[in-house]
Amino acid sequence: MNVYGPDALLKNVHEKGLCVGCGACVDLCPYFKNHKGKTAMLFPCDLPRGRCHAHCPKTEVDFDALSLKMWGTPYAGSPLGGYGRAVAAKAGKKMPRGLFQAGGVVSAIMAFSLSTGRVDAAVLTGRKGLGPTAGLATRPDDVFAFATSKYTAAPTIAALNRGIREGFSRMGVVGTPCQITAVSQLRSNPLESADFTDSVCLTVGLFCNWALDTRKLIALLSDRVDVKKILKTDIPPPPADIFQIETEDGRIDIPLQDIRSMIPGGCRICPDMTSEWADISVGNLEGEPGWNTVLIRTEKGEEIVSDAAEKEWLFTREMPRENLVHLNRASAKKKKTAVMEAAARGLLNTQSKDAHAALRMDTDTAEEIIGKEEG
Amino acid sequence: MTVLIDAEAGSSALLMGNEAIARGALEAGVKVAASYPGTPSSEILGNLAGVSKARNLYTEWSVNEKVATEVAAAASYAGLRALVAMKQVGVNVAADFLLHLSLSGTRGGLVLVSCEDPGAFSSTNEGESRPYAKMMEFPLLEIGDFQEAKDITRWAFELSEKIRNVVMIRSVTRLSHSSGNVVLGKLPETDAQARFKYQSTILDPMEGPIVNLPVVVDPFHRRQQEKLKKAAELFEDSPFNSYSGPDQPELLIITSSVCCLYSKEAIQSLNVEDRVGLLKLATTYPLPPRLLTKYLKKANRILIVEEIQPFLEDNIEAFAARTASDIGIKTFYGKNDGTFPVANELNPDMVIEAVSGILDVHIAERPEAYTRRAEEIAAMGAPSRELTFCPGCPHRASFWCIQNVLKLDNRDGFVCGDIGCYGMAAGPTGFMALKTLHAMGSATGLASGFGKLGRFGMDQPVFAVCGDSTFFHAVMPALINAIHNRADITLVILDNSGTAMTGFQAHPGLNVNAAGGKSTAIDIPGVCRAMGAAVGVCDPFDIEATRQTLLDMIEKNGVKVVVLKQICALSPEKKAKKQYEMAVDESLCLGEACGCNRLCTRIFKCPGLIWDTDTKKARVDRVICAGCGVCTSICPAGAIRREEAA
Amino acid sequence: MTGQPKLPKDPYNLIITGVGGQGNVLASRMVGDMLARMGLFVTIGETFGASQRGGSVMSHLRVSTQSSLSPQIPKGRAHMVVALEPTEAIRVLNTYGNPEVKVLCNTRPIHSIGVICGEQNYPSLEAMKDWIDELTAQSWFLDTTAAAIKLGNPILGNTVCVGALAATGELPLNRDVFRAVVSEKMSAEKVALNLSAYDMGGSLVRN
Repeated sequence: MNVYGPDALLKNVHEKGLCVGCGACVDLCPYFKNHKGKTAMLFPCDLPRGRCHAHCPKTEVDFDALSLKMWGTPYAGSPLGGYGRAVAAKAGKKMPRGLFQAGGVVSAIMAFSLSTGRVDAAVLTGRKGLGPTAGLATRPDDVFAFATSKYTAAPTIAALNRGIREGFSRMGVVGTPCQITAVSQLRSNPLESADFTDSVCLTVGLFCNWALDTRKLIALLSDRVDVKKILKTDIPPPPADIFQIETEDGRIDIPLQDIRSMIPGGCRICPDMTSEWADISVGNLEGEPGWNTVLIRTEKGEEIVSDAAEKEWLFTREMPRENLVHLNRASAKKKKTAVMEAAARGLLNTQSKDAHAALRMDTDTAEEIIGKEEG
Repeated sequence: MTVLIDAEAGSSALLMGNEAIARGALEAGVKVAASYPGTPSSEILGNLAGVSKARNLYTEWSVNEKVATEVAAAASYAGLRALVAMKQVGVNVAADFLLHLSLSGTRGGLVLVSCEDPGAFSSTNEGESRPYAKMMEFPLLEIGDFQEAKDITRWAFELSEKIRNVVMIRSVTRLSHSSGNVVLGKLPETDAQARFKYQSTILDPMEGPIVNLPVVVDPFHRRQQEKLKKAAELFEDSPFNSYSGPDQPELLIITSSVCCLYSKEAIQSLNVEDRVGLLKLATTYPLPPRLLTKYLKKANRILIVEEIQPFLEDNIEAFAARTASDIGIKTFYGKNDGTFPVANELNPDMVIEAVSGILDVHIAERPEAYTRRAEEIAAMGAPSRELTFCPGCPHRASFWCIQNVLKLDNRDGFVCGDIGCYGMAAGPTGFMALKTLHAMGSATGLASGFGKLGRFGMDQPVFAVCGDSTFFHAVMPALINAIHNRADITLVILDNSGTAMTGFQAHPGLNVNAAGGKSTAIDIPGVCRAMGAAVGVCDPFDIEATRQTLLDMIEKNGVKVVVLKQICALSPEKKAKKQYEMAVDESLCLGEACGCNRLCTRIFKCPGLIWDTDTKKARVDRVICAGCGVCTSICPAGAIRREEAA
Repeated sequence: MTGQPKLPKDPYNLIITGVGGQGNVLASRMVGDMLARMGLFVTIGETFGASQRGGSVMSHLRVSTQSSLSPQIPKGRAHMVVALEPTEAIRVLNTYGNPEVKVLCNTRPIHSIGVICGEQNYPSLEAMKDWIDELTAQSWFLDTTAAAIKLGNPILGNTVCVGALAATGELPLNRDVFRAVVSEKMSAEKVALNLSAYDMGGSLVRN
């Protein structure tokens, strides 16, 4: 993996409009901070190599390295990434009633992990008004405050960075594909520190097509909505084509075309729809609003899901084949579009000395992804 | 301070130029003195205030130079001798009143001392104030050495009363802040009675109302011209103008101010006393025509040596052109022909070089090899010293917070700067926060303008800063402008409880006055609230609270004022008393590692923190550290420890 | 003036230099007052204000039996440089030094902001001593700050330097005149403290 410093981060990510505000560089040090969804550098830092650059999921991401670490094999570019089994699931009887997104599986998994001590702190994303917040939950009950989906790019990994400094050693992280990628890079000890220890023991990835820029969304909505009264936000599956905001005073629908311009540039080169580097990946189950799709990828993930199901924190059933096919197709499409976009912008496997690649993968693999028929 | 009044008449004392000016005013029986602090003038009022009780004076640090001039003028109108002192830019502030003052005239002797700063040692410009004398038609005197600083000041009050108008004395940094031997004169009685007489007619200068109206401008203006003529007549025999040198010099030097000393030294160094004549002028406006004619006739080549602009040179050249048929055609050297540079101050070497070039005479300089070697060594051995906030300065903490907030906000916000120590925030010590810097109060004025440009697409947050003294001087009207016009700006008032840069003088925000007595303090946040701004008050040493307050404020529309209140590290109240004992825990210090990269020594740059190149850790320099404790808040590793000092 | 002491050179040009905040102005006033008391013409040229905020400061003292002189010494004409900080000595010598100049130098460094933040290098004391020796006819290196700290306050370093200057014999300075000058301005306690500092400076030079 090529690791550079914060100047390279500014030049290759910020100045190219690729920053998605995932928080991977935030609170590692005094220089990068996030405010209202935007990450900024407060003062100049001249280190030639830094963790900020190493962890960032939008520059010099080495897909082979990620794949070798997780699977022992190079990156093959399959639509959904590697996984053990796919199930449909929802929160089980043991989960208290609450406001969840879809099946509430993510909240259930995290609450279960905390209650069984598998995890000592959960890195979760909250919301204040329309702005996302990064937080740590240490008790199962705390998880519910973070429930429901946030569609704005959130600096979640900042909470992980804080948690590591505070001494938590078995953390669970819930994140979007870019955030999970950052976590995976972090866990590989890219700066080769002698006293590095892995403080993360569970990653739950979310399905994601794109996120929205917080500030732009706030600007659009703040006179249409009292942000203090927002309960949850949702993007129902096509053909709905709307962004839904549920508030205490009722529901507001915004046409998706009004918000597409708020998608950060970094989302457009993201080839990962289902968080391929997580232990467990969770998304909606198309056609069944109260359920989630769950991809159980690793042994760790399998162990937790099975145990949670047995202890009635989760309820799982077979995933309908049709859904899996659709999921494959949608994921392949995102991957293809993203890799093509990256290639077109000179961000794929860049060889130039002055510019860095955002994504690095085997050229044959990249060609295969691009050449795949949408079908 | 005591030497000012305790030494015997006739004795010699080593006095600073400003002290000598103060002594001269005392010897003239001045009763009222007003000023606004401004380097290099501040010691004049500082000294007079110190003896105000002993000498029965009223002394005042006025809110700005215009009001100071008005306060002194009031004393003059009531029959007392009064002095007003300021730096060069203060005259610009006083100018409007000065124009009208000069038109209608004065009663008790009124002297305005302007101390200029050639080379801008402590200014943001090297402006001139002498042209005001010509433009507003009152006499100008320039002091040439330390004895004259006293004697000319004393005489200026007499002159003012003879012609019934204000008299300007011009000094420069190299005289005001330098010291020399002065033989002292007598101090008069201290009694005085004030009464403003106005019962007579408007044309009666001593007992009528003092009113400028359109109908009297013509007679007043003509009267003003007569006063100038009278002054010129008095100047013909003034002992403060002097000539030394041969009767028919090859080169005549005409000079004023500290350049008299430079010219004298140049002539001595080059051993050309028999070839060069030195006409030292103190009465530089209006120029005494007969005196000038006499000396201009003596030589064909004339070198004019003066500080900053060619004021004297232009006037002399114009005079020479007018009288050419009488005095002959002359060759002039000076600023107009490039002999001297037009910018920056002069020094004896430049005058030596000029005379050297004109007369083709040279002096032995130090060996070339020495010069080269000294330069080489200096490049290695004398790292330059950039100006910085003192250790413990609240401005460092304030600008740390402001820069943090602007970067977090991430919309290219900027800060308009103003005059004071915090003006240094345009440089690295204040994290390059200031993006404009002009005159007193300009920050808020500019911000008021920037804050209305949202309609043209400008979405950058606009900040202005000012000090507590600056707030009273000029910011208040600009702030009202912003509030009334609903500009979207944030004004940060850096209240360090004094006029710090100039020596910590009092101002209306404090409850002490110039003479150290009790006074009424005006509450800055109260004033801003009354004006209609949203107001917050924080201690800048509390980094978190200050940062959060600023972040919250910039979310609002309209005018926000945040007062950051923490006393100056050099204030007499605080001086040398540490609140904390600071130390770096080396086991925690991350140094150059990722996660810190020397934030404290590379970015925060307080002089109390040293980067130890051997241990590769930060270290507190106990001698320099002021114990403010702020660095504890900024260290990302919690390695800087603080303990309450005993 | 009658009864004036003799000067090795007339005018005698002394520069006292240091960093803003070290008490440079006070030192030059002390020396100036002492010399004025002896009936000499003294001009002290100073610029203070912004330079006090960590910048270099210089006082030019012109001493003469004849008349007042310009408050700026012409280039290359210093006779003696008293430096409260070693790099300031080097800086001053660059402009005002000459092969005959003498230097009395405090050895304690004050790091500039550039040095503190790692942008500049601060030269070693050995190197500075060698360079100053090269550029002077005679030099004294004393740790006047250490001496001052022993007396209880580092700011007394400037008084230690005055005592050291007197001990070099270059100028007609003596302890009695020093005492008279400080007695006029300071309390009895402070006078005693300053006298100790003065004496310490003298002994540093004599050893």
